[in-house]
Amino acid sequence: MSTTTYTLPIGPLHVALEEPMYFDIQVEGETVRSVELAAGHVHRGMEALAMQRNYFQNVTLTERVCSLCSNSHPATYCMAVENLSGLLVPERAKYLRVIADEVKRIASHLFNVGIMAHLTGFDSLFMHAMEIREIMQDAKEGVYGNRMNLGQCIIGGCRRDIDEATAPFLLGQLELLKPQLDELYGVFERDPLIRTRTQGIGLLPFEEAKRHAVVGPVARASGVAYDVRRKAPYAVYADLDFETQSDTKGDVHSRALLRLREAVQSVKIIEQCLRQIPSGPINVREVPVIPAGEAVARSEAPRGEVFYYVRSDGTDTPQRLKWRVPTYMNWEALQVMLANCQVADIALIVNSIDPCISCTER
Amino acid sequence: MNATAKQSVETAVSRALGAVGLHWTADVNGNSFGWVKLCAPESLLSIAPALAQCGARLMTVTAYRNDKFGRMEMEGHEIAYHFDLEGLVVTVSVCLPDNPPRVPSITPWFKNADWNEREFAELYGIVLEDHPNPRRLFLDPSLDAAILDRLVPLSTMMNGASTTTLWEKVFAGKQLPEWAKGGNS
Repeated sequence: MSTTTYTLPIGPLHVALEEPMYFDIQVEGETVRSVELAAGHVHRGMEALAMQRNYFQNVTLTERVCSLCSNSHPATYCMAVENLSGLLVPERAKYLRVIADEVKRIASHLFNVGIMAHLTGFDSLFMHAMEIREIMQDAKEGVYGNRMNLGQCIIGGCRRDIDEATAPFLLGQLELLKPQLDELYGVFERDPLIRTRTQGIGLLPFEEAKRHAVVGPVARASGVAYDVRRKAPYAVYADLDFETQSDTKGDVHSRALLRLREAVQSVKIIEQCLRQIPSGPINVREVPVIPAGEAVARSEAPRGEVFYYVRSDGTDTPQRLKWRVPTYMNWEALQVMLANCQVADIALIVNSIDPCISCTER
Repeated sequence: MNATAKQSVETAVSRALGAVGLHWTADVNGNSFGWVKLCAPESLLSIAPALAQCGARLMTVTAYRNDKFGRMEMEGHEIAYHFDLEGLVVTVSVCLPDNPPRVPSITPWFKNADWNEREFAELYGIVLEDHPNPRRLFLDPSLDAAILDRLVPLSTMMNGASTTTLWEKVFAGKQLPEWAKGGNS
């Protein structure tokens, strides 16, 4: 090691990280020269557990992979099993799944931009963003009975309907949310403190985004306009009117603004769903036969593409269940984003990929 | 939809491997899934550059045992590489006939294969050839290799975790019954 650099260890437990990850950072003065990651602190062996549980128990298990995208996991897992068994999900259930996913997306994105405000030292904005997020938390609690794990998806449909009592309540929460979300966007877009701290840092150019195969808001803010909801539509996204958000700046600021714009689009999606949702059953009320074979399914979780692969040997437990979360590739791209940044910006840049470590390690 | 992407995948696969069985399935939404089965790990060295050239993205890699817990004495592992091209999912499965199983790294064409390959190497004891950084990813080096090759029943894991400490507290000040004295079997 050169005499002008020194090692700055960050983690595995650190105030700026919500979950454990170890960064071995070589620093020259205040500037980061190289980053080495060491993962595995919250590896739970969930894929081994999934092979010992039957197809129905795995719906509950996959909901516990991650809290902020807890609906995306069982929804995508159920899609993979439905693809394998040829089970057709009722139209109403598809709408209900989209509503649950988008409600979670709004809450997840607001959480991330809130933490970003906190890391810039703008704590009143952090509290304001979290308070706005509380509107969606209340919506979840009112409609599903839970603030985080909604327990909405089952193989063949959904568990809970949105009826004449909960639909107006959800719409009312969205009405409360809309003006506040617009106002929040304005603050994040124009506030001088936010701009000074977040513009032009954590840069991920288009070519590097492609090379690292990053997904989600991280990819879209770097000009890779890939959104599974549009590229490989599932549920009822093909019938819904919304715009894939993208940007070309690829810095911390553009990722935050992109998330807020996506939250606005999610409000639009939920409103359309509540208008268009047909009446009918919300699940198939039958136990599907799961034949030997293999299937994959994908969805767009708040952090990007979630991928599930299920392989069956004809028994009641999967021969193999594998899933890959968006953070998996986005972590490695941090080596590009952190290159030559200032020590004080490390936490902000790490937060800008909206990292989920327990998700990544499973 | 996806007609151009489908055409590129078909061209890439046939150029790399000749007339191998690439077959397509579709879901209820009209999304297409391509499936390729390879019998020799070396074939990856032909198909990986061809797919990279047509702009495919590696989504993830799944390794598995043909017999998941090794109870039926079926030997062998397979690895499924999942690629995306403009919304099209292509899964290339490779049989690993060697013992210990070995497979060439595809990191020269897909940078993000790095973590995926290290993960299946540590979980299944698969030997990586020409990997730039073949150390453990998630599991501590003190843990056994190929942990997913074995059935570790939950009851065994729990027995390991709850030692006699619990019963010593329950029976504090009393005679500890014979059955609570330990041994994990």
